[in-house]
Amino acid sequence: MNHNHFRIALAGNANVGKSVIFNQLTGLHQHIGNWPGKTVEKAEGTLHFKGYTIDFIDLPGIYSLSTFSMEELVSREYIATEKPDLVINVVDASILERNLFFTLQLLELETPLLISLNQIDMAKKKGITIDIRKAEEILGVPVVPTVAISGKGVYQMLETAIEVIEKKQKTDPLKPRYGREIEERIEDLIILLNKIQLKYPTRWVAIKLLEEDSEVEKEVLALSPEIVATAKRMRRELEQLHGHSCPTVITSERYNVANMISEEIQTITKPLKTPLSEKLHTVTTHKMFGYPIMLASVLAVFVGIFSFGDFTSALLGDTFFALKPIFDSVLGTGIVGELVWGGIIEGIIGGVTVALPYILPFYFILYIFEDSGYLSRIAFLMDNLMHKMGLHGKAFIPVMLSFGCNVPGCLGCRIMETTRERLLTAFVVTLVPCAATSVIILGLVGAYVSIGWALALYIINLIIIFVLGRIAFKALPGEPTELIMEMSAYRMPHIKTVAKQTWFRLREFIVMAFPLIIVGSLVIKLAEVANLLDPIANIMSPVTVTWLGLPAVTGIALIFGVLRKELTLIMLATLFGTANFAQVMTPVQMIVFTLVVMLYIPCVATIGALVKEFGGKKALLITVLEILLALLVGGIAYRLLTIM
Amino acid sequence: MHLPLTALRNGETGVITATYCSSAGQQMYRHKARKRWIKHAMAERCARRLNDLGLTPGTKVTVVKSAPFNGPLEISVRGSLLAIGRGMAGRILVDVKR
Repeated sequence: MNHNHFRIALAGNANVGKSVIFNQLTGLHQHIGNWPGKTVEKAEGTLHFKGYTIDFIDLPGIYSLSTFSMEELVSREYIATEKPDLVINVVDASILERNLFFTLQLLELETPLLISLNQIDMAKKKGITIDIRKAEEILGVPVVPTVAISGKGVYQMLETAIEVIEKKQKTDPLKPRYGREIEERIEDLIILLNKIQLKYPTRWVAIKLLEEDSEVEKEVLALSPEIVATAKRMRRELEQLHGHSCPTVITSERYNVANMISEEIQTITKPLKTPLSEKLHTVTTHKMFGYPIMLASVLAVFVGIFSFGDFTSALLGDTFFALKPIFDSVLGTGIVGELVWGGIIEGIIGGVTVALPYILPFYFILYIFEDSGYLSRIAFLMDNLMHKMGLHGKAFIPVMLSFGCNVPGCLGCRIMETTRERLLTAFVVTLVPCAATSVIILGLVGAYVSIGWALALYIINLIIIFVLGRIAFKALPGEPTELIMEMSAYRMPHIKTVAKQTWFRLREFIVMAFPLIIVGSLVIKLAEVANLLDPIANIMSPVTVTWLGLPAVTGIALIFGVLRKELTLIMLATLFGTANFAQVMTPVQMIVFTLVVMLYIPCVATIGALVKEFGGKKALLITVLEILLALLVGGIAYRLLTIM
Repeated sequence: MHLPLTALRNGETGVITATYCSSAGQQMYRHKARKRWIKHAMAERCARRLNDLGLTPGTKVTVVKSAPFNGPLEISVRGSLLAIGRGMAGRILVDVKR
C-alpha cells in the first residue's frame, strides 16, 4: 500500500452521528453498496487531505461485536481481517457507558483506535461534562471532541488520525481486565492458542472462546479441538463460580469496566431545565397524546406525498407525452417506432412518474423521521399492533414505506434483525396497497361504486394482511425475535445527510426497477404487436370470466398490471374504449377486479426487489402464493356479492 | 422481592438478578418448558441480546412507562432509554424493595 494512502473505518453504536461524520468527511465522493453476499449496507468514500488519500468506510451501527446480527459479524470481520489503518470509534458523549462498552471491544480486537467524542453539545445540555485528558489517559488512545452536525472538531479529528497512523502520536491502548478467575483462564487459553496460527489477536480469541462465540469456536475447532474442549470446561467452572452463564459473566464484567471508566471521566450535574428533546419524548410517547400525534404526522405525510405525487406525476406524464409527436416524426409510426415508444419510452415514463413524485419524497421524509429519532417512538407505539401480525414494532417502518411503494418496503426489511423476520415482513409488505393500487381503488371503486366501498376494500386488505401475517408467523420455522431497541434522544436531522441517503436510495431503486419495467414493457408490447394478447385473454377466460365473473378483456389489463399496477386502469380504459367504467362494468365486477389487482401479484419491480433480498426461490413462492390468494379472495367475493 | 420486570410499577427501580438464560433462571425456565432445548436456545440468544444492551445481572433498571394496550416497556438503563417487548421483559428477574 502507498505510504500516503490510508484506510480508516468508522465504527460505533447506532444513532451516534456516525453517518453525519462520514458525510462531513467524504462529501459526494461516496459509494454505497452491499457487503459481498450480505444484505448489509456498505458505505465507502474517499477524501483527499493534505496530500493524503484516505478511504473511509462507514461500518453499520452496532452495540456489540458478538455475532448476533449480520451487521455485527460484518463489522468484526472487516476490522479483524482487513485490518484498516485506523478505526475511528464515534462515541455519543451523552450515553458514555453504553458506548464505552463497544469501545472496550474494539480495544480487545487490538486495532489502532481513535475516539471521536461526538454530540458533546447534547451532553452539555444534559449536564454532562467529560474530562478529555483523563479519558485519553485511561483509554490510552487519542480522544477528540466533535459536534458532527456543525462539523466542529472534525478537522482536528482528521489531523489526529493522520498523526496516529504516521505514529507521530504515541498510543498505549488499554487492555480491559476481567476478574481474577477469568483472567487466569484467559492466560491459560493464550498459552494453548499460541501454538496455533490464527488470523485474530490471541487474547481476543481466548475471550471469545469463553464467551461461547460460535464463529470463533468453529475456526479454532478446525485447528485444535482440544482447545475448544478446554474452553468448554472452563466455561462450566466459571458458571459454577458465578451462578450465571459464562458469556453473561464476561459481558457483565465488561460493562462494569465501562461503568467505572465513565464514572471516572464524566461529571453529571442536573440541568436547570429539562431539555426540549426530553419534553418531546414524553409527549410523543404519552399514553394519551402519543397516538393522536403519530396518527396526525403519518396522515400529514401521506396526504402531503399523495397530493404532491399526484400533481407532479401528472405534470411529468403530460410533459413526456407532449413529446410524442416529435418522436413520431423522427422514428415514424411504423412497427419499430411503436416498439420503441410503447416498449422503452413508456417504460421509462412509467418509472419516472412513480420514482420522482412518490418514492423521492417518501424516502426523504422517512429519513427525517429516522434521523430525528421519531421513527423509534413510532415503533414503540406500534409494537403491540405489529405483534398481532406476528411482527414487532420495527416492522412498521417497511410497512409504512409500502403504502408509497412496495419496492422500498421490501428493501426496508433489512432493518429487521433475523432472516426470518425479514422474510415475514417482506411477505406482509407485498400485500400492502401501494400508491398505484390506491389510484385504482379510488379511481375505480371510489369513483364509480362508492367511497364507502373503497374504504371497505382497504379494511378487507388490512384484515387479510393480519390473518396471513399470523399464519405465516406460525408456519415459518425459527424463533421469533422481540422488540428491543434504544430510543436515542431527539435531535435535529442533518439535512445534507438525509438528502444524500435519499439520493442513494432513489438511485438504488432506479438501477433495480427501471430495467425490469422497460424489459417488461417491451415484452408486452411485442405480444401486442404480434396479436398475442387476445389469445392470451381467451386462455385466461376460465379464470377471469368463469371464476371471477369479469369481462374477458380484463385478462389483458391484469397482464399489464404486472408492470405497474396503475396500468390496469389505463389499459382497461383503452380496451373498453371509454373511461366511464360504469357503462361497461357492474359495481360487483369493479369491486372484484380491484380486489384482485390489490392482491394478485407484486409488480415486476417488487419481484425484482424480492429476488435481490431473498433469492429467486422465495420470491417465486411469495408471487405464486399471492396469485392464488387473489384468485381465492376474488372468487369468494364475486359469489358473495352476487348473492347479496 | 424478586419480580419479573413487567411487574414493576411506572417509575420503580430494581436490580437485575437473573435473565432466564443464566443458570438460576435456566432451571426455572426448563421446568416450565415443554419443548425444552428449542426454548433453551431461544433463551440463550435472547439473553445475549439483553446482555449486549447492558441488561446484565446486578444492573439497575427503572421502568419509565409502558406503551398503551399492553405494549412494550420503556426502561432506563445505563443512562439511556430502551424499548423492550413485554415477552422479553418478562424474562428478566429483578430485585425490588417495596
